[in-house]
Amino acid sequence: MITRVEVVARRGPGGRTVLPVVRASGQLAVRRTGPTSVHLVATAFGPLGGDDAEIRLVVEEGARLSVHSVAAAVALPARQDDAPSVQRVHATVAGELVLAPEPTVVAARAHHRAELTAELADRATLHATEQVLLGRAGEEPGRWTGTTRVERAGRPLLHTTVSLGPGAPGWLPPVAPRAYAATVSLGVRLPVATGQDAVRLPLDDGWSATAWGTELHRVVRELAALGGADEEVA
Amino acid sequence: MSSALLTLADSRLPAGGHAHSGGVEQAIAAGSVTDPRSLSTFLLRRLQTAGAVAAGLAAAACAGADLVALDAEADARTPSPALRAASRQQGRGLVRVGRRAWPSPGWDALPAAPHHPVALGVAAAAGGLSPRDAAAAAAYLSISGPATAAQRLLAMDPLTVAAVTARLSPEVDAVAERSASRATNSPAELPADTDPLLDLLAEVHAARNDRFFAS
Repeated sequence: MITRVEVVARRGPGGRTVLPVVRASGQLAVRRTGPTSVHLVATAFGPLGGDDAEIRLVVEEGARLSVHSVAAAVALPARQDDAPSVQRVHATVAGELVLAPEPTVVAARAHHRAELTAELADRATLHATEQVLLGRAGEEPGRWTGTTRVERAGRPLLHTTVSLGPGAPGWLPPVAPRAYAATVSLGVRLPVATGQDAVRLPLDDGWSATAWGTELHRVVRELAALGGADEEVA
Repeated sequence: MSSALLTLADSRLPAGGHAHSGGVEQAIAAGSVTDPRSLSTFLLRRLQTAGAVAAGLAAAACAGADLVALDAEADARTPSPALRAASRQQGRGLVRVGRRAWPSPGWDALPAAPHHPVALGVAAAAGGLSPRDAAAAAAYLSISGPATAAQRLLAMDPLTVAAVTARLSPEVDAVAERSASRATNSPAELPADTDPLLDLLAEVHAARNDRFFAS
């Protein structure tokens, strides 16, 4: 199934954010849930292998937008082949963008690819979190590949691809984590911090933090313990 | 096969690689690398992430891509300050010896203290090698230095370590092939595979004051 979402946030009269464009087709609907926030609502089961979702977000100068989802997404395998499900988020930001969706659970035999491309203008800010769990309770883990690319004024600040699950290099011994959480934040630079299975790295004017382990709630807690990840994102 | 490739991948090329363990020293301290088997797994993990990224950058640099843009792409793929410093240190070392070994105007297009894979690509081009060769050298170097470091730190049998490295040859070739095939696209599309564990090991290692290797 093809899913297309487009949201444009603009600074309106009196500095309030207005959303002149809110479009959704396919598996997702968009609900405005606050002055500057929207929730993505799944209108169908999935994603299934072979599904293609593209979410385009534009936050103009002086506008704020935070994007959430109402429930965890469960990526399921394709019926016939082993095609991955793909979700691409493309954000063009001159204002402030927060991306804080609920976790993605990748069921056994499924492969989910998540891509975030963010093009930031000079003073734009971004705070994007991602939570992944491989396999539902009592089942084999699926595969997840996440690519994040952040550019500021055309210059690449961060470009990483993390692959998890059976067969992925990051899943060889000594660590094969079922749960993974990551945050990338641009706006305020923070220095290196390390945890047992977590690391925060500085970016030019931001930071990127990653944590991994067996249980998602512990991983999320370890990520938060690095600091910087506990901002109010509602 | 050109002998320039052998020279470029030779651990005796005095480019400073011997001072770096590629995370092996910290992996040993953490108890993750203890024997030939765990070393082999660690090397494979490194090859398919850091090695694939280095191979892509080296191939693109050899193919004539904009070196300043490639250096920025290398930065974006290396957010760990410890790994950035290690890469730039080795890049600077390679430029120093490469300029003497393979004089070429290509060296002047490099930024000061470039990332190692970018310098490696320039060296390969100056030595008359192909982008695929540059990728092979980068992929091979991503495991050969760490393997030697493990041998020294764990007092392993050199024959065993040589065998571990040699048995990874098919994977080295596969990584070089895959990465080189993506080097003709825009620099933004080069491989960006990362291993958060290597970032963590590098940062914990950099904070120690009792280490034998620089990284």
